[in-house]
Amino acid sequence: MSPEVLSVILLTLQVATVSTLLVLLPATVLGYVLARYEFYGKTVLSALVGLPLVLPPTAVGFLLLRLFAVDGPFGRETLGFDLSILLTWKGAVIATATMSLPLVARTARATFEGINPRLELMAHTLGHGRLATFFQYSLPMARRGLLGAVILGFTRAMGEFGATVTIAGNIPGRTQTIAAAIFSAQQVGAQARADFLMLVAIVLGFLAILSAELLGHGRSLPRLARP
Amino acid sequence: MTQLLPPHDSLQAGSLDGLTVQVRLPLDRFELDIDVQTEKHVTGIFGVSGAGKTSLLETICGVRRQARGVIALGAETWLDSDRGVFVKPSQRHIGYVPQDGLLFPHKNVRHNLLAGKKRGLRRGHAVQQTFETVVHILELGPLLERAVHALSGGERQRVALGRALCSGPRLLLLDEPFASLDVALRRKLLPFLRRVRAEFQTPMLFVSHDPLEVQALCDDLIVLGDGRIISHGDPRAVLTASHIFPLAEQYGFENILPCYTVEGGGSTGQVRLGEREGGERAPVELVTVQSEARPGEAMLAGIPAHDIMLATQRPEGLSARNVLPARITQLRSVGHVGLATAELSPDLPPLTVEVTEKSFVELGLRVGSEVFLVIKATSCRLYRTGEGRRLRRSDVDG
Repeated sequence: MSPEVLSVILLTLQVATVSTLLVLLPATVLGYVLARYEFYGKTVLSALVGLPLVLPPTAVGFLLLRLFAVDGPFGRETLGFDLSILLTWKGAVIATATMSLPLVARTARATFEGINPRLELMAHTLGHGRLATFFQYSLPMARRGLLGAVILGFTRAMGEFGATVTIAGNIPGRTQTIAAAIFSAQQVGAQARADFLMLVAIVLGFLAILSAELLGHGRSLPRLARP
Repeated sequence: MTQLLPPHDSLQAGSLDGLTVQVRLPLDRFELDIDVQTEKHVTGIFGVSGAGKTSLLETICGVRRQARGVIALGAETWLDSDRGVFVKPSQRHIGYVPQDGLLFPHKNVRHNLLAGKKRGLRRGHAVQQTFETVVHILELGPLLERAVHALSGGERQRVALGRALCSGPRLLLLDEPFASLDVALRRKLLPFLRRVRAEFQTPMLFVSHDPLEVQALCDDLIVLGDGRIISHGDPRAVLTASHIFPLAEQYGFENILPCYTVEGGGSTGQVRLGEREGGERAPVELVTVQSEARPGEAMLAGIPAHDIMLATQRPEGLSARNVLPARITQLRSVGHVGLATAELSPDLPPLTVEVTEKSFVELGLRVGSEVFLVIKATSCRLYRTGEGRRLRRSDVDG
């Protein structure tokens, strides 16, 4: 394996990992709030959260580009300092996080909705406040589903292409992930390199889906009442 | 009552805290409108499904935020909507046992039992001692390390009951804890509730539509109908009141009498009515169906009101095994049937007998009449109370 290919794989894993960690907390809280609370504007919030799933990734990438551009709301001219997002690996993280958040939040929501809310009321009557109930009861009861959500988010982040190249570019050794590297290799006719990267993508993706499937068969899924 | 264990801490705690519930809560079909006070140890709540029993318990728990009114236990006020007082469910020190157990799937039995430990400790409750007592009287020892999904229905409900007790509650709310189980299993679990009652002085509200459970456990009974209290008082008197009796009968009313076995084995059993060492003047004995009880075991005898015949003279040549002299103390009619209250002995609770109104007239029955109660041995059911000994595994395999 050439050093360039290795750096592509490592960068992909790095970007996907950081983006997953970044997304985990907000997506879980968002999923819980959408599953458990009724409030004004909930439907709109739910639709907004799902938006990146249905938009062309390049549109999301372009929106991020405008936000982080020098004259954008998070750009150097507005903030007074440079976040150095554009054309860096941090830009790739922001792009993949934006694309995988809806997936994680929606899976988390479905998981929480599958947990009997009366179990949380029971925890309240046993003396646990809201926060304690969330951390000691809701989260542990949802752990399998949430782990599945994280794996989905991670794979989404690894495979993201459109938004990433739009904001972070496709710079070998700096911002080039597996998805972008396959595209470049194919463009220049580097058959062997494209084949190898494709195999790596297949293996990583398969392992992720496999573990999600295995976790999905766990006991936190809703079941029929026992005798 | 036979003492199973050394007295529990709370047994010496003195008199019970009175519970005051004056609440209104709009429900789908009617408004829950309750005004009740009770200082009894176990207060039963009886009524048809949909009468508002669960809503009442949920209001007391504090999970029905729309409820208005006052809820207080002793000196603690949990709700006083006029003064803006609302204590959160987590601060109310209630032990709630729902119909479906609601055990936490991510914890094993031991950790389910200890789920309310922190709250108990905060209140200065001897959690460890209670835990041991609970494991002992509910016979949970062999289950402690099991996952909850590996428990049977009866075991789940025992764990749910134990979890509530271990949290050191000031009030126990039991919402038909055994309603999801079949009748045979429910009868086997009755002794556990009797033991909890004997061991813990915690006031309890016990929702049930089983006249046997109500009579075997409650000191006080409230009957709910469409969100209102339609009767309140001594359980036996309430269940046999003319406007409640049809409902009680519908759910299988039986006269419940304390008794102890004098003869086990054989094709029939024989019990002596009353408490053991009760000092009855003339012991009344009853031939019953066969039972597995040891001689001397404290039991409850159940006789359906419609399975008792009245005779004005001692009948001859009958197959019925029991012909007991009694005196009529009360007569009343419910729809087309007549209810007679008959006293076997001043030491025993009176029996309610259901006959047609026509029989009343033809037999010339009046208050004070001396009669004979004719009861078949097969109409006398025996229920174990679980007092004085551990149940065998086979008794509780549910």
